[in-house]
Amino acid sequence: MADLMLLAPEITLLVTGLTVLLLGLFLSAHSKKILGYIATLGCLVAFVLTLNSFGTTAVMFSNSLSIDALSQFFKLVFLTVAILVSIASIKYTDGNDHADEYYVLVLFATIGMMMVASANDLMVLFVAFELASLATYALAGFEKKNPASIEAAMKYFMIGSLSAALLLLGIGYVYGATGTTNIPEVAQNIGLLASSPMGILSLVLLIAGFGFKIALVPFHMWAPDTYQGAPSVVSALLAAGSKKMGFVAAFKVFITGLIALQADWQMAFAILAVITMTYGNIVALSQTSVKRMLAYSSLAQAGYISMAFVVMTPMALTGGILYALSHGFMKAGAFIATAAVVYMATSENKDILKADHLDSFKGLGKRMPITALCLTVFVLALAGIPPTAGFMSKFVLFSSTIESGLVWLAVIAILNSAVSLYYYARVVRYMYAMPAEGERISEPAPYVVALLLAVAGVLAIGLWPEPFVNMAMEAANVLIPGGM
Amino acid sequence: MSVIIDSSNIINSYIPVAVFLVVSLLMPPATMAMVKLLSPRSKSPNKYATYECGSDPLGDARIQFNVEYYLYAIAFVVFDIEVLFLYPWAMVYIGNGVDMVTAIVEMLIFIFVMLFGYAYLWKKGALKWMN
Repeated sequence: MADLMLLAPEITLLVTGLTVLLLGLFLSAHSKKILGYIATLGCLVAFVLTLNSFGTTAVMFSNSLSIDALSQFFKLVFLTVAILVSIASIKYTDGNDHADEYYVLVLFATIGMMMVASANDLMVLFVAFELASLATYALAGFEKKNPASIEAAMKYFMIGSLSAALLLLGIGYVYGATGTTNIPEVAQNIGLLASSPMGILSLVLLIAGFGFKIALVPFHMWAPDTYQGAPSVVSALLAAGSKKMGFVAAFKVFITGLIALQADWQMAFAILAVITMTYGNIVALSQTSVKRMLAYSSLAQAGYISMAFVVMTPMALTGGILYALSHGFMKAGAFIATAAVVYMATSENKDILKADHLDSFKGLGKRMPITALCLTVFVLALAGIPPTAGFMSKFVLFSSTIESGLVWLAVIAILNSAVSLYYYARVVRYMYAMPAEGERISEPAPYVVALLLAVAGVLAIGLWPEPFVNMAMEAANVLIPGGM
Repeated sequence: MSVIIDSSNIINSYIPVAVFLVVSLLMPPATMAMVKLLSPRSKSPNKYATYECGSDPLGDARIQFNVEYYLYAIAFVVFDIEVLFLYPWAMVYIGNGVDMVTAIVEMLIFIFVMLFGYAYLWKKGALKWMN
């Protein structure tokens, strides 16, 4: 029973989810606001429980779940994003009769992501992956009267199902050759997989399966449409949360399970990382929809994080893992700021088609000063300007790349960061240098609270990185034991 | 490698499948050719009418099905899978050192969670035909 306490965060979220589901049945649309507070509270409790048990190591349920610094670090990332999204959604779902379903899906998606983080078995990993995916498919289509939202959900669902099939096939080949689905045991029997053609085949399938979720470049087609069409708060959950789920799954499977095939997948990740960051940044340059721009920038960021697979030193992994946390704050914050702007644009003009067009951001510094200031911090952090989280994680990641001799990769990444500054700075220019086209409006409190929390996170990691870097180091230590 | 997968054995074990494949590819054309050669033929306009259980065809074939069929199907699948979980539960706990109380409590927790889904469906009126 004692070790069941280690699952307390997941159990808390589950109980919260079921409570919200049941309460929602008996509440009127008007009083469903309380569900948002309950969901936020549940996530907060889970966050504190996870933070409290940070550093504990345990294996549970006949080796199928492992609790360690890596899984707990990523659980903290997912819970942070879930807290930000739940707070912001209090405004988004205000007066909506389906608020209960919305929060239940957000909570269940978070449970799925957390289970992926602690999965120690490929089948558990797959089931948890699907739990999170199915919940987010429905969330992407939450605005069922809005064709863009339906398109987003449809594309996400189709491509997500295909990637799930590829992932399962990849797992099937790993199982076929090694005779086990337990990740550490796969590592022990890896010789059988490495010596047969099935090894490469399963690698390709697994990279494709995770690549879809991470949105690495040849597998990214769904991401811009889905992030643009889905409600902004849901895009925050997808870009900041669900993408990290792909990373933690890939970290576990490739580095813990398939380390013997390192030479093969490292090559693949090197190529994918370079293509992804370059493509993401270049296409983002010409976007006029801010959500789409953030989607492409999120591709680019995924490219940076993938560099951790290529460099594979403990420091680079620390950088990649820290980047996952910083990206969670920055991207969730940026999408929530966009949600606030979309809210403003649609409340002024109900029939507006492109509420997230750059034009809506004109003079935002005067119209919504807090949102504009926070968004400025987020985009500058995404570009990697000190003293923000983006700078700190890029610094750790890029410097470790140079240290390990992969100067060419670091140069490409730094050039990419420079290119990205153009489209990030453009948003800031629209907000502050362009004349406002309307009155100052009062900013909804839930958005403001979520934005300020995210800014606090971004600045905390940037100004006082030590505790975060140490936690990320512990997490990296799980992947490469004794590396410190 | 050969210890785990003996490829010659695998290929041999697929011979029946290959036989089935060949036979099933040959059967339909052979039957159709036989019918074509042997069957008597007569032509009349009634022969080209749509067949609907012997009575005269009525209405359009392309009608919309009520979405409630699908809701029922989805709800059925959900609870069907619950039953599917009960089966391995019954088999796995025997003789694996799990005492009966733990096993029953664990399954009750699972059914309890499923109960929420049932309550949700019921209250939302998904079990009501045509509302």
